[in-house]
Amino acid sequence: MNTDHDGTSRPDDAQVVVELTGVHKEFGDAKALDGLDLRIRAGEAVAVMGPSGCGKSTLLNMVAGLDRPTSGTVRVQGQDLGPLNENGLALFRRRHIGMIFQFFNLIDDLPALDNVALAAQLTGTTARQARRRALELLDELGVAHRKDVYPAALSGGERQRVAVARALMNRPALLLADEPTGALDSRSGEQVMDLLIDLNQIGQTLLIVTHDPALATRCAGRLVEMADGRVARERILEASS
Amino acid sequence: MKGVKGVKGVKGANGAVWRASRAAVKRRRVQTVVIGLVVFCSTTTVLLALAVISAARAPFDDAFAQQRGAHVVAAFDPAKASAEQLAATAHRPGVEAAAGPFDQAVVEIPTDWVGRPPGALTLVGRSDPAGPVDRVRLLGGRWAAGPGEVVVNEPFGGFSERFLNHPLPLGDGRQLTIVGFATSMSQSAGGWVTPEQAAALHPTGRQMLYRFSDASGEQRLTSAMGTVTEGLPKDALTNAQSYLVLKEAFSAGADAYLPLMTVFGVLGLVVAALIVGNVVSGAVVSGYRHIGVLKSIGFTPRQVVTVYLTMVSVPAVAGTVLGTAAGWAAAHPILQAAFSGITTGIAVIEPAGWLPAATLISVPLLVLLAALVPASRAHRLSAAQAISAGSAPRNGRGLKIQRRLGGTRLPRAVSLGLGQPFARPARTALTMSAIMLGVLTVTVTTGLGSTLTRLVDHADGRTHIKVLTAHFAGDATTEPRLTPAQTEAMLRATPGAERVSVRGLVQVGLVGYPQPAFADFYSGDDAVDTKRLQVVRGRPATGPNEIEAGPSFIRQHGLKLGDRLTLDLDGRHLTVTLVGEESEGNPRAFASNDATRAALTDDPHAVEYDVRLAEGADPEAYQRAVSAADPSLSPSVFAPDMGGPIVAVISFATIFTVLLSVVAALGVFNTLLLTIRERRRDLGMLKSIGMTPRQVVTMTLASVTWQGAVSAAIGVPAGILAHRLLVENVGSIVFPESAMDVWDVPLLIGLALAGVGIAVLGALVPARSAARLPIAEVLHNE
Repeated sequence: MNTDHDGTSRPDDAQVVVELTGVHKEFGDAKALDGLDLRIRAGEAVAVMGPSGCGKSTLLNMVAGLDRPTSGTVRVQGQDLGPLNENGLALFRRRHIGMIFQFFNLIDDLPALDNVALAAQLTGTTARQARRRALELLDELGVAHRKDVYPAALSGGERQRVAVARALMNRPALLLADEPTGALDSRSGEQVMDLLIDLNQIGQTLLIVTHDPALATRCAGRLVEMADGRVARERILEASS
Repeated sequence: MKGVKGVKGVKGANGAVWRASRAAVKRRRVQTVVIGLVVFCSTTTVLLALAVISAARAPFDDAFAQQRGAHVVAAFDPAKASAEQLAATAHRPGVEAAAGPFDQAVVEIPTDWVGRPPGALTLVGRSDPAGPVDRVRLLGGRWAAGPGEVVVNEPFGGFSERFLNHPLPLGDGRQLTIVGFATSMSQSAGGWVTPEQAAALHPTGRQMLYRFSDASGEQRLTSAMGTVTEGLPKDALTNAQSYLVLKEAFSAGADAYLPLMTVFGVLGLVVAALIVGNVVSGAVVSGYRHIGVLKSIGFTPRQVVTVYLTMVSVPAVAGTVLGTAAGWAAAHPILQAAFSGITTGIAVIEPAGWLPAATLISVPLLVLLAALVPASRAHRLSAAQAISAGSAPRNGRGLKIQRRLGGTRLPRAVSLGLGQPFARPARTALTMSAIMLGVLTVTVTTGLGSTLTRLVDHADGRTHIKVLTAHFAGDATTEPRLTPAQTEAMLRATPGAERVSVRGLVQVGLVGYPQPAFADFYSGDDAVDTKRLQVVRGRPATGPNEIEAGPSFIRQHGLKLGDRLTLDLDGRHLTVTLVGEESEGNPRAFASNDATRAALTDDPHAVEYDVRLAEGADPEAYQRAVSAADPSLSPSVFAPDMGGPIVAVISFATIFTVLLSVVAALGVFNTLLLTIRERRRDLGMLKSIGMTPRQVVTMTLASVTWQGAVSAAIGVPAGILAHRLLVENVGSIVFPESAMDVWDVPLLIGLALAGVGIAVLGALVPARSAARLPIAEVLHNE
């Protein structure tokens, strides 16, 4: 383990899943990221917090390959995302990334099971195999009984569980969560937090962007605080669960 | 004060409605452009169709009324009805006005005259062009006032100044002088002389011109003529030319286009209504949240409807104005093409002045009507419903189908795409209707093109050489070195010739009819002549005293197969039988054979030779040899000549097909754009879980490809049916079955692909824009 000048620990290179070096992102005159450096080790759960407009979501988009930096490099699982074209980025996401969102982003026209199976089917997995794996995941997440229900008829917590199941479908190296409890009531939020903790405990690497200190402290082992497009502070959190 | 406040309130509300409408137009630029383009194309189509339809009748009626045209131009045998008896017919019941009797003589013109071929000319003795009936319009010069003077009828309404005071030699050695040119909408004569001059020309008939109080149909005219001729000796009436025949002849050219224009005009309107309905309903559906917001901030339902109608009206009005301007600009040349070569007289062929007003009023109304149904949905929708639209629980057949597709072995991008249209069945139905109409149009046009090509296609796989005489080629100064018989022998003897046919052309008089006709006499190996038209009813005129003619000639002369006609050339009369109806042809021409020609005249009147070359023969060498043998001959390799009307029909059809296909593709484009806008979040999510840009394009194209295929499955048979109806109702052309049955498997497959093509064409841009959708932006803009 390396130690930074401010005393925070730095992950070893051998275990690095995410590595951002000098990442800048500008939207016109506005700087969303301003020379951001960040590393995340395998199995870590990292929470990113900060005021609105500090660049949290932009950071997440960079890591997911949803957006490109103006300058700097983004490496995930040892892969430099810079040279990848749109096709390459799509394949990268398919292989390495799972994403959950504040508003779930489920497809209204598909029932829960098919929403989850979709991620595997895009890789060429047969419908039967994909549905079998999707059902296993829904079962593990406690919503198998709702597999045939369309998103509009699911509760917020159920929708987010289905979204988590979909994110895990392709066994991603990194699970990205953007305000995963932001649209949920407190009980559903608790359930989702427990779920994330459980996933991390079985070795799933997590990067969570949130405004909610409770979520950050409960689910993450390291907290990255951002301001003005940079990492303002990092600290290791005590496990609270 | 209260009143002032009220007015201010109304003004403020109107301002808000206008601001909201303007913002909606600005925000939906693509949709605005699509509506504008659809309306533009449709307006152009409708205006062109209306222009031809109105021009086919109105100009004739106006000019005919202006000249107080004769409803019937009657010719009587002077031996059977005296001038007094005929004069008395003017007072018979039903006769509104009458002129005559005038002496009528048929003279022979042995040489070319004022640009016309030699032949018979009917002259009528009239002291002046005025009178109660058939007020002949003097185009130039003056009316015949003395012996030897003649005024020539110029049926096309124009004349050349240089022919005034030109001599007109007659076959019997006498000579007349052309002192004027005139035109008669009644086509009552080939020329007019003084009554004294007519008497000196040994008249064979007496002409009476009648206007009847009821001339509304052929039956009424026949009955009126029955009353007129009552008491006259049997067979005293030798011919009665109805104005209805002239009216039909006037619109003969346009008649070929009328069914076509009507079909395309109706198609244009239907497609425009469908697409506009689709576009507007899409705008309302995709604007539910917008509607909810408007209502929640205090817009009344009526104001919301006004916003949506205004949003549609802006591009609709712009499209209508531009479409009207484009249609108006194109209408002039199109009418010129449609009416080229027909007897116009003083009728002016131009687009009717009311056309722009009609499209400027009716098209926006149609658009508003199409917009009203979806806009009324916006009216009914509660603010809460509108704002929550999209997140309400959904189920139904569409979703079940999507689920079933998800379980198939198809790639997921494909199965997702195939299922998408079921989510919005009404919109899918409208889009498919647009594609279906596009396919129908393409099918009709393709069929028409094939039919017309087959009609004129004499291709026997051989090279044909056309050899024109100097005279026929327009060179009156070069004297031929060989006689017609020698020319034919030379052509046969020149190395390379396999078969030779000869075409003789002469103008002959038709006894009982005021206008002469052109007779084509074919001899030699006439079966190979590329000029000869196909006989579609009866049989080819191969025997002596037999003729064949096109439908226009037959109709305008009131004939049917088996009827007899008496030809008059150089005073020699020959009665011939109409044995065949050709597929098309000049309304003033018929065809026959050399035996018939020989019975009428010794001169073969050869104007053109058709030589089929032997396989491998050198066309260049053959032409050189012919020119060397007689430099007055003009040989050239025959190129299939698509007649003017045929080219025009194909051109119109192509223009309309392009317009309507563009409109149909725009419909698909718009639907997909709306769908993509609605599904932005879904697309972003799919991309976030690894759907590649190519898979996004595949999914989008899959969603329209099957719609294209299904639309084609309906559109192609409908197009085949429409094609059959069209070709069976083109008045001036009778198509043989071989020309109507043009469909074969590769062509049908090609047409089916046209449906997919239209759909894919409209989908490509939205598909690519979907593939490029910025995921981060979409997913975080909730």
